[in-house]
Amino acid sequence: MLGLNLPVVIVLAAVGGVLAWRRANTLTWLLYTWVALWAFFKYGFAVPIPQSVATIYLGITGLALVCFASSSRERLSETAQPIVRLILEPRYRLALAGLLVALPALAAYNVYADLNVPLEAPGFGREVHPPPPTEMTVHDETVDMATAENPYLHYNHDDPELYGEHLENGRRIYYENCFWCHGDGMGGDGMFAHGLNPVPSNFNDVGTLPILQSSFVHWRIAKGAPGLPGAGTPWDSMMPAWEKFLTTEEMWDVNLFIYDFNGYEPRALGQH
Amino acid sequence: MTRNRILFGIGVLAFVSVIVTVRLGGFLVDNEYRQPDRQVAAQEELGEAELVPRQQGIADEQAADEAEARARPYEEAEYRTVPFVGSRVTVWVLAQLHLLFAAFVLAVPLFAFIIEFVGYVKKEERYNKLAYEFTKLLSVSFSMTATFGAFLTFALIILYPKFTNYLMHIFSPTFLPYVLLFFLEALFLYSYYYGWGKFGPRMHLFLGFMLNIVGTAIMFIANAWLTFMMSPGKRDDIDGDGVPDFVSAVSESGALLSLRDAFFNFTWMPINIHRIIANVAFGGSIAAAYAAFRYLQAKSDEERAHFDWMGYVGNFVAIIAFLPLPFAGYYLAAEIYAFSQTLGIQMMGGTFSWLFVLQAALIGNLFLGANYYLWLGMGRMEGGVHFQKFIKWLLIAIALCFAVWATPRYAISSVSEIAAMGGSSHPQLSYLGQMSAKNTAVNILILSTYMSFLLYRRTGRQSIHPHRQLLTRAQAIVFSSAAALVIFYGVYGYFVDSATRIRFAIPQVYSVLAALVVITVIDLPLYRNAAQSGETKWGRIPAVSQYALIFIALSFTWLMGLMGYVRSGLRQEWHVYGVILDTSPDAYTPSLGFATQVVSVTVLIFFGLIGVVFWLSSLSGKKDYAPGAAAEDGGRLEGGQAA
Amino acid sequence: MKLSVPMPLRLVLLVLGTTAFYMYLGQIVPQKESHPPPPVLINAEMTTEDLVTVGAELASGKGQCLVGCHTVGQSGPLRYPDLDGIGGRAATQVDGLSDLEYLAQSLYEPAVFIVPGFADGMQAINQPPINLSDDEIKAVIAWLQSLGGTPNVTLDTDLGY
Repeated sequence: MLGLNLPVVIVLAAVGGVLAWRRANTLTWLLYTWVALWAFFKYGFAVPIPQSVATIYLGITGLALVCFASSSRERLSETAQPIVRLILEPRYRLALAGLLVALPALAAYNVYADLNVPLEAPGFGREVHPPPPTEMTVHDETVDMATAENPYLHYNHDDPELYGEHLENGRRIYYENCFWCHGDGMGGDGMFAHGLNPVPSNFNDVGTLPILQSSFVHWRIAKGAPGLPGAGTPWDSMMPAWEKFLTTEEMWDVNLFIYDFNGYEPRALGQH
Repeated sequence: MTRNRILFGIGVLAFVSVIVTVRLGGFLVDNEYRQPDRQVAAQEELGEAELVPRQQGIADEQAADEAEARARPYEEAEYRTVPFVGSRVTVWVLAQLHLLFAAFVLAVPLFAFIIEFVGYVKKEERYNKLAYEFTKLLSVSFSMTATFGAFLTFALIILYPKFTNYLMHIFSPTFLPYVLLFFLEALFLYSYYYGWGKFGPRMHLFLGFMLNIVGTAIMFIANAWLTFMMSPGKRDDIDGDGVPDFVSAVSESGALLSLRDAFFNFTWMPINIHRIIANVAFGGSIAAAYAAFRYLQAKSDEERAHFDWMGYVGNFVAIIAFLPLPFAGYYLAAEIYAFSQTLGIQMMGGTFSWLFVLQAALIGNLFLGANYYLWLGMGRMEGGVHFQKFIKWLLIAIALCFAVWATPRYAISSVSEIAAMGGSSHPQLSYLGQMSAKNTAVNILILSTYMSFLLYRRTGRQSIHPHRQLLTRAQAIVFSSAAALVIFYGVYGYFVDSATRIRFAIPQVYSVLAALVVITVIDLPLYRNAAQSGETKWGRIPAVSQYALIFIALSFTWLMGLMGYVRSGLRQEWHVYGVILDTSPDAYTPSLGFATQVVSVTVLIFFGLIGVVFWLSSLSGKKDYAPGAAAEDGGRLEGGQAA
Repeated sequence: MKLSVPMPLRLVLLVLGTTAFYMYLGQIVPQKESHPPPPVLINAEMTTEDLVTVGAELASGKGQCLVGCHTVGQSGPLRYPDLDGIGGRAATQVDGLSDLEYLAQSLYEPAVFIVPGFADGMQAINQPPINLSDDEIKAVIAWLQSLGGTPNVTLDTDLGY
């Protein structure tokens, strides 16, 4: 829901609930706020937010919490009191010792965690949808990219039974050839996807299928990575040129199927 | 003792600097032009015959040098360079320092005059004293402004002779009035300052008023020079389609067509407005920093109370000016867009887009600092705990808006993060990076800050107005409906196309402005002669608040430096946008990292100098020098010198 | 024992710390120096294909088409029309204008036809500050045609401006 990682959010809220129930002191609340937000930014989103943004947010949170704690004399002494007690009172000596060990250990762990990341190539900007050619030749047949449409799409209205057959054929082809990379649910997360960079296209995405003409998709299927234009490099796409393995009909069928499966319609000619 | 030491130190420093200046002059002269004659004259005594081959060689070389020097025709230099620093950075730092001092000198009379006027109307002596206290800062700052102005002019003539000459070509008729106004400024400033208490109150107020008029006129003239560089022309609807078109004030080759158009150019008025407001905000914050400095130095409770109050007033001035500043900035940006789409896009989406994330951090800090100071100030009142519970919610609102405003449109992300997001923008966060969200955030920030101020105003006071409940409720309704309207437009902006979305900023701004005005109008009678539950104890505030004031002043100064960079850097490789191209090696636009380094150095220099201004101003409050008290220190000092 | 830092030192630390913090923020954001565009040379022997290459350079350099305004192949909330496939669309955008005429009009007189859903905002690119020469504009047109179309403009083409 909302792209959130619900269990994490529920756990964080539950901890907050317990704190409210136990009437936790100000210091505990401040610590909880910061740690909870840290955990929320790190684990709370289905798609993790970039580290840089999380750092900005946590910095602002930290600043705000410091301001809050020191915004009046009373609140400052109220916040500082547990710390003073922890340091001065003999009965907390063990806890203090634990803290003195834990803080450097936490810092050390943080350094370890920061360094222990896989080496990565630096990011680069790249065109998501490269410009297609005006026309292309598939199996000795010239396809005009501007006007070509899926020849079986109109069966949707004219002949639902035939449409179903083509769809069924498309399904078979998809699950024989495509799902390895593009995934069972077409989320671009098939079993080989984690090894690929750039990752396979996610057909669930609202920014992919609905904004493309079916001729574009046909072009990508037929020509694959080798057919990509030079202007869009660097391309490390692993998409095969499927015209070498499938017939034209099979390619249009699978085209039909991926649109149908995701409930999208191809963008019509001239539509913005 | 320390005083003598300082004086001694200044003496030594002056002596050393005179020597350094003389040596530096000599060094520069030697390097600029070696006199060939001197050596030749020495050799004539020796006689031609006695020259050994080495001497002969040296003599020939010198003769050749001299011949070359004589043969070289005079050439007009286009650019000169400064070693290590570079011409651009030299002019940049000097201009920024000049501007910071000038802003201060223009702003302080503005609110000193208003405070004096308030004192005159209310017949309260303390306002008069406070205004005088602010004015004390002026005279040293005025000399600083003039010094840096002269320094900047020389730097421009030396380093950018051709371009400076071009500006002279355009603006030569404006320089004489400028100088005359500067004379008048000095006249009014010194008569205003030294004449404090010497004239009748009306006469003195008149002097203050004239000082402000003259100061503003000076700034308007200088603004014409720099806005011309960005937008050399006026707006006029030539083709009659209702949309103002650009009419250039100069020909394609740069020759002047109309001085009037060059002067009253496209961005002139927006810059004037933006600068007046920003100057007051900046001046208020620097004056508050001065008060904070004196508070921290203070030895007695009485002094502390006085400087706490002064800091509060300075900060109040800064915040009141700061609230409309984003709107003035928006107006300026919109005018820049209207003048040239390229400049506008360059600013918000292109090369400078990351600068605005930095700006968000700075403005966020300013809002947070200002609110923080107000909250701390609630401790001055007896029985001020009542509103403490709201602080949490205000803080949450401010932190949220701050976070939204600092969210970049395209986050810096690693390859694996991009892979996880499926693109360079995050599915949920990308909504926060857009203009709709940011406009909403800044409007809510302004409302929250105003709310903090209202709570501060109410702390320890009880309204005695007969309809207080009704009026308070009316305020709450106005406040929440403004907030709701702002948020509504913010959210609705996602469901319309870009052309409509841009226009939503205007109702947002108006609803906030209207809310501020309406709430203020209700608040004034509501709390007139309000019953106080306890006395306001000026000076009873944690010391950290004073550091917060200095932090606010620092952030303001840094922000001005940064925005100065974008205003000037926006032209990119143009001296005069679209007309005169910069062909010097410094024509490129530096990276943001480099720019922030220059800004930081400028800010440090400014604070070093303003520290001197503070110190000099604080001298006037010190006890007079008495020979008896300092005799032994003096004796020791002389003994030291003799040894 | 009470640890305390003298006030002047605190002030100095505050000033240095704050300035250093803002400077640090300036260092962690992406750094980019933008240099004045190098002169792009167009000579009379250039073929249409050469013009496409030059036009692509102009688009992201001196012409500033892709510097914050237009995109190629992006979706979502756009500032100005995406140029993806413009070469194919150009002929059908405005009735009565061929693709060449349409593209030339969009560059010389951008306010005449505004793509529905977008605001007027483009400047004539043959005028300062962008100030492309007629030959450079032909190169840009060749590049635009290459986006989803077949470029056919040459330096001899008369654009009518």
